Amino acid sequence: MTTLTPTADRAAPANIAQRPGAATYFNGFRNEVHKGLLNFRAGWREVVIQMITFPVFFLLLVLFMGRGQLRDEFLLPGLLGMVSLTFIHEQVNRAFWSYLGDMQSGVLEQTYLTPLPSWTLILGRQVAAVVSALPSALAVLLVGVITIEVRGGDTPFDVQILLPVASIVLGTCGLALILCGLTLVYKRIQIITQFSMAVWFIAGGTFVPLSNMPDVTAFLSRLLVPIAPGLEAIRDILVGGDSLLGLTTGWGLWWVILQPVVLIGIGVVLFGRLERVAKRRGTLGRY
Amino acid sequence: MSTQTQAPAGSGRPEAVTTTPAIEISGLTKTYGGADTPSVDNVSLSVPAGTVFGFLGPNGAGKTTTIKILSGLLAASSGKTLLNGYDVTRQRAAAMQQFGAVLEGSRNVYWTLSAWQNLLYFGRLKGMTAAHAAARAEELLKGLDLWERREESVGGYSRGMQQKVAVAAALIADPPIVLLDEPTIGLDVEATRTVMEWIRTLSRERGKTVLLTTHQMNVVEELCDRVAVIRKGKVIADMSTDQLLSQFRERDAYEVRIEGDLPELSLPPNFTARRVDDTTIVSGRVSDPQEVYTLVDRLRDQRAVVQSLAQVQPDLEDVFMGLIKGPAHD
Repeated sequence: MTTLTPTADRAAPANIAQRPGAATYFNGFRNEVHKGLLNFRAGWREVVIQMITFPVFFLLLVLFMGRGQLRDEFLLPGLLGMVSLTFIHEQVNRAFWSYLGDMQSGVLEQTYLTPLPSWTLILGRQVAAVVSALPSALAVLLVGVITIEVRGGDTPFDVQILLPVASIVLGTCGLALILCGLTLVYKRIQIITQFSMAVWFIAGGTFVPLSNMPDVTAFLSRLLVPIAPGLEAIRDILVGGDSLLGLTTGWGLWWVILQPVVLIGIGVVLFGRLERVAKRRGTLGRY
Repeated sequence: MSTQTQAPAGSGRPEAVTTTPAIEISGLTKTYGGADTPSVDNVSLSVPAGTVFGFLGPNGAGKTTTIKILSGLLAASSGKTLLNGYDVTRQRAAAMQQFGAVLEGSRNVYWTLSAWQNLLYFGRLKGMTAAHAAARAEELLKGLDLWERREESVGGYSRGMQQKVAVAAALIADPPIVLLDEPTIGLDVEATRTVMEWIRTLSRERGKTVLLTTHQMNVVEELCDRVAVIRKGKVIADMSTDQLLSQFRERDAYEVRIEGDLPELSLPPNFTARRVDDTTIVSGRVSDPQEVYTLVDRLRDQRAVVQSLAQVQPDLEDVFMGLIKGPAHD
């Protein structure tokens, strides 16, 4: 027979706080990141497959672009595009599926039974998704660098790219927030998520630079696509030799900084509103 | 039984009050967008602390909607819900520390994680420190005979074990109120018995308040101190289990067994006859027991051999079926 031994001889919790303290917030955030990484580890086979398929996809693309040859002029720009694309693909999908998967399995509602505000948990999920996206993106980078080096080329690095890299990470988080918020209310949203990846691939400037695209497409890409301004800046720095303050393509440094902030802002506001809608409509646990 | 430290809604902190219900719902209404009628219609309930409260109703009656509003997962159209005096909407953080829940029809825990990882996760989610959550998780897993398999993924457990982990996750922060929405659904007899024992232990030995929804009336009859029945969003009965049964006992059912066929005679209203093997069973409800004796006399006059006359006590299932089939109480 099962027994439950009391830890205390009372029926109420010891500490009833109207609002959790900062340490509780931090622990909740860390807890969410930890859970995300445990789930990531549980799906390690899938990660290994992606660490193989994404670099192979990159090499095939460069081969096609070079009409069957790995041409140096496509390798580095293509590598930068593919690393960005792999990152956004993995980050957005992992954040998105962490919500949809939890909804489908019915665990999401349990994660809302907490004194912590939901932003703590969302932040944790985003950080876990960022970390989980790194192995695949780094595998592409590694294979790309090795390929360039083996062919006698040089892989440039400039510390200035850290800012556009951060811009890509933040902008991608903003996009993931928007998609995650939408999935709380609209159940078929995975179609949009999958379709959006095709859009990033074509219009994100990953393989065809925005400067080679029609003006309207380039304008919309720079305005809306989270990786576009950052990727353009990275190419300007590493391929064109520009400085951060003198980026020659795109809308300049100010937009590299502002676009992810705007996307994060939209993501936070939209997520909050859609979460309220979900609580009104009762869709948090409907699947 | 009443709680000792309570918080009147809006006070901001608990105050010493003599008696506050563990769960208080007043004027709760929920109408989903596009629906003509409310799913929950002006429901008011008061659940004393330390009781096991059965919240019953047919599918779609509004039970799960009510529980989700109580849990803060669903916004009410109007009305107020208090958990140990804390308003679920306005004092969310404090209200969330008052209860643990096992929700109906869902996994409740992560199947990709182990039981141990799940309990640590949900403990910290409830605001516990890692050390406190670990100690409590160990205690619960040992108590539920899951300690030896704590490192295995929950997805590999049997249904009963998975439900044990879900209940353990709900209890990880030792909450004073436990909401159990169909906790025995899909469980075999043994696992159902285990869950029933937990509920009994939680209430009788730990002083927890348990709000339980289930379609298994034997579970309710055995465990619940008080029962509310909801139909079409409205509460049509709210009283102690004994009161509910005794109320229906006033309209007691009787059963007369006679040998062979039923003689030709007109049965009283509400009486029916059915043949079982060599016996005919005449049964029905009467408002005055004298009607049954009159019936027996008439049967004997027709030379029927009366084998037995018995009063059939209604069980909760009969009461429940009678209530939900009856006219709506507006």
